[in-house]
Amino acid sequence: MPLRRPSWLLPVLAWASASVVAAGLLSWQALLQQHAAFETDARIAHRLLSQRAAQHDAILATLGLLQPGADGTAPQSRLPALYPQVLAVLQRPRGQAWGDAALDAAEGESRRAGRAVVTQLALGAGRFTLLAAAEPASHALVLDARAMVPTTDWPYAAAGLGPRVSLEAGGQSLQLHAGPSELGPRPFRFAKPLSSPSQPFDVVVQQPVGLAALPWGRMALAALALAAGMALAQRWRQQVAARRRAEELLRLGQVARLNTLGELAAGMAHELNQPLTAMLANTQAAQRLLADDPPELDVARQAMDHAAAQARRASEVLTRLRRTVERPDLAADSQTLDLVAQVRDTLDLLAPECHKRGVTVALDLPTAAVAVTAEPVALQQIAHNLVLNALQAMEQVPAHARRLDLLVRADAAGGRLVVRDSGPGIAPEALPRVFEPFFSTRPGGLGLGLSLCESLAQGLGGALAVANRTPRGAEFTLTLPLAAAA
Amino acid sequence: MNFAQSPLIHLMDDDAGVRQALALLIGTVGLRVQEWADPLAFLDAIVGDPQRQNIGAIVLDVRMPGISGLAVLEQLQARGVDQPVVMLTGHGTVEMCRRAFKAGAAEFLEKPVHDEQLLEALQQAVRSHVKSRQHHQDDREARTRHAALSPREREVLGLIVAGLTNKEIGRALGLSPRTVETHRSNLFAKLGAESLAQLIRRYAGLVENDPSGG
Repeated sequence: MPLRRPSWLLPVLAWASASVVAAGLLSWQALLQQHAAFETDARIAHRLLSQRAAQHDAILATLGLLQPGADGTAPQSRLPALYPQVLAVLQRPRGQAWGDAALDAAEGESRRAGRAVVTQLALGAGRFTLLAAAEPASHALVLDARAMVPTTDWPYAAAGLGPRVSLEAGGQSLQLHAGPSELGPRPFRFAKPLSSPSQPFDVVVQQPVGLAALPWGRMALAALALAAGMALAQRWRQQVAARRRAEELLRLGQVARLNTLGELAAGMAHELNQPLTAMLANTQAAQRLLADDPPELDVARQAMDHAAAQARRASEVLTRLRRTVERPDLAADSQTLDLVAQVRDTLDLLAPECHKRGVTVALDLPTAAVAVTAEPVALQQIAHNLVLNALQAMEQVPAHARRLDLLVRADAAGGRLVVRDSGPGIAPEALPRVFEPFFSTRPGGLGLGLSLCESLAQGLGGALAVANRTPRGAEFTLTLPLAAAA
Repeated sequence: MNFAQSPLIHLMDDDAGVRQALALLIGTVGLRVQEWADPLAFLDAIVGDPQRQNIGAIVLDVRMPGISGLAVLEQLQARGVDQPVVMLTGHGTVEMCRRAFKAGAAEFLEKPVHDEQLLEALQQAVRSHVKSRQHHQDDREARTRHAALSPREREVLGLIVAGLTNKEIGRALGLSPRTVETHRSNLFAKLGAESLAQLIRRYAGLVENDPSGG
């Protein structure tokens, strides 16, 4: 068995790819928004930390200008109380050295650079010293980096998870805000040095981008909406296809009937044309022979014999044709049937048709069986055609006014089936002709249905009658001989 | 070529009744009729030599078993049968008619066919067949006679056809008018021409095709 693609595969694949695209777009948009918020917060944190660093530079510059008086009173001793991050203020007295190798080296460096420099960096412990050389006395601030985080305006709540915020310098790192323990493979990352050149620390803010950050709810909604949309589109397409198929079937049916008739006519024409050709040629030859002087009587006589033979041949063609389409002897095949049951069977077959047209069907059937003599197929065909004819007649009236009445009666005349419709009825001048072959009031109708019904009814030893109803509608009455009581 | 016998009509129709009647009708105007029921047997016979010698025409029914009349017509043309063909059909379409004439049918008639129509068509066909055969034969005879001329006579013929007088011909070929006159009378005798007009009408075409002439 060859591998066959299941019919649902293509729509499901289309839906899945559309959903993936929609989810991608939604995620991209959500990540853009999240990244923008992250950047804003990180820039605020960076600015606040930079402000602190600038503060340090300003304190040292002020201390350098406010050289201590001879009394040795030191305003700097009050600084730690004002700035929580300032742990201690160191002073190199005038004319002396710091007496500490690191501080002495930093003093030299500060002089060269003309600005404050960082020394004794221990970011892991949160400590560093900022030294500014000045004359006559130099000052240094021992600073607590952890305390640089301001209490107001800091965008990251102390308790909340937030991002991981750290200061980094010279391979050392200090976490100012712990954030999550794992950052994941591709976190948002913000890194920028403090704006003070004296304190070259990088502010690094990192935030994990987790699956939880994606807009799952909206993605699911989008997938659902797509599924619903595609289902609707599919249904619409199916309806269109079904309608087109129905129209096609209808058209094919009409074409098939016309083809059959056309074939029949062409076959008949050929079959009759040959003897007609021979007859014409023979009679005209005879005319010519008789006109000769002297007339050739013998040959002319033979020609007329031939012409007569060809006329018989044409007649045989017609007889043969009639015999081919002739119906079997209905009376011989008749049996005892219950007319009520037959009518019910017919109606069962046509119930979908009645329902489709919104026709109300009213049955008036006797409870007892009505035994008639009939050939079953012929009876079914008559009943079927009569009901179908009634349904077609009612196409011209609105659906609520369509009512089909079926009655079965038994009386002295025989078993009767009455089919009444609420259609427009039959025009008085058309009434006597409705059973004629090829007579139809319906556009496109062949005019053979009712004609066939009547000949079948007569073949069964019964009759078919038609009448108009008041105020409107038509009534067909089929009468069949009752079966002789056993 | 035997024209003494009356023309022969080949009648091809698979229906015996039609065949008999049409044969009788055609016979009333003095035409001989050969009837054919089987299209393939007819095709085999007609391309044989004795049948082709006859002057006449062919009547073909379009609808036949095994092979259609149109196909038979096409076969006849392909095999070089030159008798004119009259087609008969029970139910002719424009397309069928077009195809028949394209394949070289002389006439296309619908059944049942009227006697005057059919007989007139056949007599017309026979006349055109005779004419075409005659033309063919004259052509062949002229070619044979022309081939029997001597080179000098051919030169003289070319100049006669070109409209030169004996004197001019003698000057052109370096001959005395007397010699030209001798060639001229020999030429008329050999070509069987009775007048200058007849000579030019029959042989002008051959002179133009003759590389040694004119």
